Amino acid sequence: MLKFFDFPITASSRFKKVVTDPVNLVMLILLVILAYLVIWPFIQLLIETLTWGDRDRRISPDAVPGEFTSFYWQQATSGPLSRKMLYGPLLNTLITGITATIMALLAGGILAWCVVRSDMPGKRWLQPILTLPYIVPSFAIALAWEAVFRSPKVGGQPGIYEALLGMGPPEWLSYGTFPISITLAIHYFPFAYLLVAGALATIDSQMEESALISGAGRLMTLRRITFPVVAPAFLAALILTFGKTIGQFALPFILGAPAQFHTIATMVYANLTLGLDALAFVLAIILIGMSLISIWLSNRFVGNKTRRFETISGKGFRSREIALGPWRWPIFTAVTLFAFVVGVLPLILLGVQSIMLIDGFYGLENLTKHFWVGQSNPDIAFGEPGVLHNKIILGATWNTLKLAFISAIIASVIGLVIAYITVRRAHNPLARALDQIAFIPFLFPTIAFGAMYLTLFAEPVGPIPALYGTFTLLVIISVVSRLPYSVKTGVTAVTQIGQELEEAAELAGASWIVRFRRIIMPLSSSGVLSGMMVSFVGVMRELSLIVLLITPSTRVLMTVGFGYAEEGLTQLSNALVLIVAVLTIIGELILMWIGKGKMARLREKQS
Amino acid sequence: MSKIYVRNLTKTYSGIKALNNVSLEIESGEFLVLLGPSGCGKTTLLRCLAGLETPDEGEIIMGENVVFSSALNIMVPPGKRNLGMVFQSYALWPHMTVRDNVKFGLDVLKTPIPLANKRLDEVLSDVGLGPLGERYPSELSGGQQQRVALARLLATQPPIFLMDEPLSNLDARLRMDMRVELKRFQSDAKATTVYVTHDQTEAMTMSTRVVVMKDGEIQQISPPDQLYRQPANTFVADFVGMPRINLIDLTAKDNLIHSYANDDLHLDIGWAPGCSHITVGARPEDISIINGTAAGKEYFKITAVLPNGPETIVQLTRGKTTLITRVGHDSKFVEGQTVDISFNVKALNIYATKTGSLITRDSVKDLNAFSG
Repeated sequence: MLKFFDFPITASSRFKKVVTDPVNLVMLILLVILAYLVIWPFIQLLIETLTWGDRDRRISPDAVPGEFTSFYWQQATSGPLSRKMLYGPLLNTLITGITATIMALLAGGILAWCVVRSDMPGKRWLQPILTLPYIVPSFAIALAWEAVFRSPKVGGQPGIYEALLGMGPPEWLSYGTFPISITLAIHYFPFAYLLVAGALATIDSQMEESALISGAGRLMTLRRITFPVVAPAFLAALILTFGKTIGQFALPFILGAPAQFHTIATMVYANLTLGLDALAFVLAIILIGMSLISIWLSNRFVGNKTRRFETISGKGFRSREIALGPWRWPIFTAVTLFAFVVGVLPLILLGVQSIMLIDGFYGLENLTKHFWVGQSNPDIAFGEPGVLHNKIILGATWNTLKLAFISAIIASVIGLVIAYITVRRAHNPLARALDQIAFIPFLFPTIAFGAMYLTLFAEPVGPIPALYGTFTLLVIISVVSRLPYSVKTGVTAVTQIGQELEEAAELAGASWIVRFRRIIMPLSSSGVLSGMMVSFVGVMRELSLIVLLITPSTRVLMTVGFGYAEEGLTQLSNALVLIVAVLTIIGELILMWIGKGKMARLREKQS
Repeated sequence: MSKIYVRNLTKTYSGIKALNNVSLEIESGEFLVLLGPSGCGKTTLLRCLAGLETPDEGEIIMGENVVFSSALNIMVPPGKRNLGMVFQSYALWPHMTVRDNVKFGLDVLKTPIPLANKRLDEVLSDVGLGPLGERYPSELSGGQQQRVALARLLATQPPIFLMDEPLSNLDARLRMDMRVELKRFQSDAKATTVYVTHDQTEAMTMSTRVVVMKDGEIQQISPPDQLYRQPANTFVADFVGMPRINLIDLTAKDNLIHSYANDDLHLDIGWAPGCSHITVGARPEDISIINGTAAGKEYFKITAVLPNGPETIVQLTRGKTTLITRVGHDSKFVEGQTVDISFNVKALNIYATKTGSLITRDSVKDLNAFSG
């Protein structure tokens, strides 16, 4: 017989067990890498704003490069330029953000109710059109607005408004608060729509019916039952939408810069182009602060409530549609008209503009294919050849697809690994830390995130080369910025894979790598694939994240299009943005198709 | 060959002891069933044997190998323990065909392809899945899925089988058939088997020995017939047997050391357990109804008659005492009838009311011999 000893496990042997577990090893490596790519850049950014830079002698005679200074923060908050640099843009950011959010929420909420709860016809094809403005780059909507309301006072060719009415639009309609708020609202209402629709879909109509049976009227039911249940989601949508609008860069830049109208985000860019790096970083930090506050608020006031109001229950769930009666067709017409104006019209406008020889001159004889297929002609557009012959654009298209493809794959795989660790090692504090670090990029407005990487990779640090200007840097920032989303997709996928499936393989003697490759990856593939497609589309239409990091050799479609828009080459920028919009729409269609496939398979399994 | 020793195994989940100092020896080739209500620790014990859980304290030895020891700091990973397991959900990999599911273990062992294919054909036809090798698990019925899980376990011919309620997802008729088959495969393979269930019929019909657990502790280990005839304490007595055992609290009567009674009935058990308060365990079949009221003094009223195929269950009440008895299907009792009863005194088990544990004639004799 074997003897039984009784003494406790020693600490050192426990440690050995911890580091030889491959999952722990992967976890530690990921923690270190992500800390360097997510937390350190922020600290670096902070340090940059608090120390003198190399070239700052020209700003102040006291400057000693590398020494601590509060000069930049003082300049930004109380210097002579602070009104123009900080407070004015801050006010603009708040006003446009709040106005846009309220409009987006109103539109999104009403539409969500119509689609989810009413018997409005044509829901199936209206829904994708209603989400179009959010799918296409925000920049496209700004360009479409400009095409209509371009003001002659700023110079350049007249817009459609002027061509039709014979007189220029008032400036408030062309540039500044009003157009920026409206276009932001158009871009973000689908986001609010999706959030509210999700909440409305969880309402069990039996809840409302039992209120009706208790004697409550329809209005009272709406006020006392329906609205309170949706309120937390509504509030969350409000705060999250606001958080997104303040980070928007391209849209306010197109519709603001010509009239010297700046938000914090555009001011970051403007300062960087002027070489005032440290001031730009101060603004970036302020932007991050605003984003943090809004997300903290949404968690504080909404997080707990939403969980408390979760009404997910399997049995007896019923969602009865509410009859609109005689209003059915008028409402349908209004919604369709709205969907057309915000979803389809902007793209048509961009398309039409891109085939006009002389911008702003409306007539059949003015139509040309030049900007699409023409060869270089020094008389037109400074000799820029048409989109399909333009080497820069072809290169940018290739770069765009390459960047989106590589980033999407890396982000999905890393996201799945992190998700796996988060789900399967839920009790390990390091796993939780990893989950949280992977979420942090969500809190950074993209332009501020770009600014961080500008400082981080400007010079080589230890074994890491100076990545500024390389394609690798674009991949890294795209991957990290997609991680919060890909981890979420991964968590959903991994949670659905029963632990026993993996344990059965473990019992057969399969190592962790084999289990991950043969069990986890194939079983999560459909979810991860659609997550990959979302990332692909997301990276493709990204501008503000990478606009600060682009160099001529790494141009992508969005930055080239932005460059043309800055130079006033409207047709070319329109054509480019249209290409991106079409690519993203194709991506979304593929996504819907994947989703349908998955649903079909699930149904098959259940039967 | 594959005897399993479990010693002083303890496993705590956030302060609750799922296993409390469990020790157990499982003979080679034995079919051992772990039985108990949910949360009793039976599944935890099985998962500790499999290596899917790491116990806090204790030792597990399989054959010649120490596979877990907190003292020696040994934790052999599941794949190296050379055992097979059937999960309650079967845990079939939905993205692999039946064949690939069964082949996985052989792949991991790097079995040469011709050999693996031969073994696969063998196993699949053994479990009756020969023609279904290319199907996916979702295209199979529950019973067929169960067979795939079984084939997966058999493929690598492990000397130890672990089964976690493998039949609980099948309908009643299929469950009966599969019991017989499982038993056949087990005895053919001569594998040491540990089988978790909460279904006592399964435990009784399949096992060589049953381990009854409660709150992470073993209550009794014995062959199924003894488990039924001589439960070690009132918990086991109550848990095993359908309909439930009658547990009657009685108090010693006067100075008569054989005689016990409560308000409603009086019983002479024929020997002296040496205890003033006892609980008598009487199986329904150990109480017989004497038709007519002339013979005895114990009048009970029939409060329910529940025919159940070959037998009829009769409920009797007198005062605060309710008894269940089992009579033949041809008996013609009716509700409301007054009857007399008698106990098969030799078959009764006597428990000390205070501790709930069994007092046998032998243990009392030993005790007397010891003290005298």
